[in-house]
Amino acid sequence: MTHAVLCEDLWKTYQRHRPLGVKSLLLGADPPRDTRFAREWALAEVGFQVPRGRSFGVIGPNGSGKTTLLSILLGTVQEDRGRVSLSGRVAPLLELGAGFHGDLTGRENVFLFGSILGVRLAEIRRRFENIAEFSELEGAIEQPLRTYSAGMIARLGFSTIIHSPADILLIDEVLAVGDASFQAKCHRALREFRARGGTLIIVSHNMKEVTEVCDEGICLDLGRVVDAGPMAGVAARYQERMAAAESGKIKASAHAYR
Amino acid sequence: MPTVKRSLRQLAEFLYLLARQELKARYKGRVLGYVWALAHTFALAFVYWIAFKIIMRLDMPNYSVYLIAGMFPWVWLSVGVTGATRSFVVNAPLVKEMGLAHAILPLSNVVQEMVHFILALPVVIAWVVLAGGYDAAVSWLWQIPLMLALQVAFVYPLALAFALINVYVREIEPLLGIGFPLLFFATPMVYPISIVPEPLHQYFELNPFHALMESWRSLFMAGALDLPRIAYAAGFAVAAGAVTWLLYRKLAPRVGELV
Repeated sequence: MTHAVLCEDLWKTYQRHRPLGVKSLLLGADPPRDTRFAREWALAEVGFQVPRGRSFGVIGPNGSGKTTLLSILLGTVQEDRGRVSLSGRVAPLLELGAGFHGDLTGRENVFLFGSILGVRLAEIRRRFENIAEFSELEGAIEQPLRTYSAGMIARLGFSTIIHSPADILLIDEVLAVGDASFQAKCHRALREFRARGGTLIIVSHNMKEVTEVCDEGICLDLGRVVDAGPMAGVAARYQERMAAAESGKIKASAHAYR
Repeated sequence: MPTVKRSLRQLAEFLYLLARQELKARYKGRVLGYVWALAHTFALAFVYWIAFKIIMRLDMPNYSVYLIAGMFPWVWLSVGVTGATRSFVVNAPLVKEMGLAHAILPLSNVVQEMVHFILALPVVIAWVVLAGGYDAAVSWLWQIPLMLALQVAFVYPLALAFALINVYVREIEPLLGIGFPLLFFATPMVYPISIVPEPLHQYFELNPFHALMESWRSLFMAGALDLPRIAYAAGFAVAAGAVTWLLYRKLAPRVGELV
């Protein structure tokens, strides 16, 4: 079976790539080591496969490399070692309101975002009614985006990508912003998306959501895959580890689970 | 490297959306916005006119036309490049979602400034004809588009190159802020090349920016294309394009991370 998303032995470090100041260039000093990350490898030996039409969850503590992984899948960040391959059109929803412009109306932002996603204007026009309806924003869609709440922005963003002609959706923790009824609506829409053959990769901190929406997944910790398999199990074990770490019984480190 | 799939037409549509967005922002007062945008460049030209014609008593006929005919293309060039230099950094969330198509962002700066230039043309031409007594030429109908294309080909490689470099070395932005005014005075813009001592003329002529600006002035004031200078500017555009292509291959992949 051809996989929609394939990731093999992925390694990524940020340490070499800190922007240089003119002072360092002129004085010949060593580039300052990037202290954003406490560890050498943001991602190490990460590998997984997602068959077409499946939904895949990525969970893990903050700083475990989830966003880096999505950025590599999208193509904005380059991996240092390993192989990544995606087959199909990709649509990302990575940051709330990324690519949205505060002065433009909701409608204008749909067109702008759609265009960023690579969709032709005629196609966006054709789908606009559906996008507007799904978002439940009604009149607000003609208002400038800076008047929107976070929930409204999430609605607009999700509505746009779910109606875009994408085969693979990459969603990073954005759905948490919507209210319960909107989240339920999103889950339904995502199920329909998969029924159409779409593939979904979702990063979430909400174990309930990720278990509901995803078939399988991985858990990252300190850049490594510490658990993989059916989502329910991965999520449950992650929660146990977090609870145990809370009470200090086990040290939640990657070593125990390699 | 996996990216969003696009066609050339789709990129053109995206460019159109970006340009329209910028125009709405700049001209939101409709007529007033238009007047204001023009007034800024005219005011600049006026200051130089006072300084050089009145105070320094520069002896040059039609000095105001010389200024205006060069100032508008220059503003397109400098605002285009300085705006483009910031375009990746300022649009970081956009860059992270676009993959390598982010090269279109500096182009949108160049195109936006070109649109402002085109909108200013009727007023510029009116000034040339009325204040300068020059004849408007029908040939401008095809000569001006040619010059527009030349300037885009000239400016875009610079815009993209500086946008890329700026992501790695952020000081480029303020450096350009100093560099452009220096370049402005090193190029015959507020003075004719005739007042430069004869032996130095050859060095001034080596300046590709001079070739470009002089071509515009030649078009408006002499009514003809200055072919040797246009060829030189075109040659520079090709060379700049080649260098930018090499820079792009080296620098573009990490822009998404560093921005």
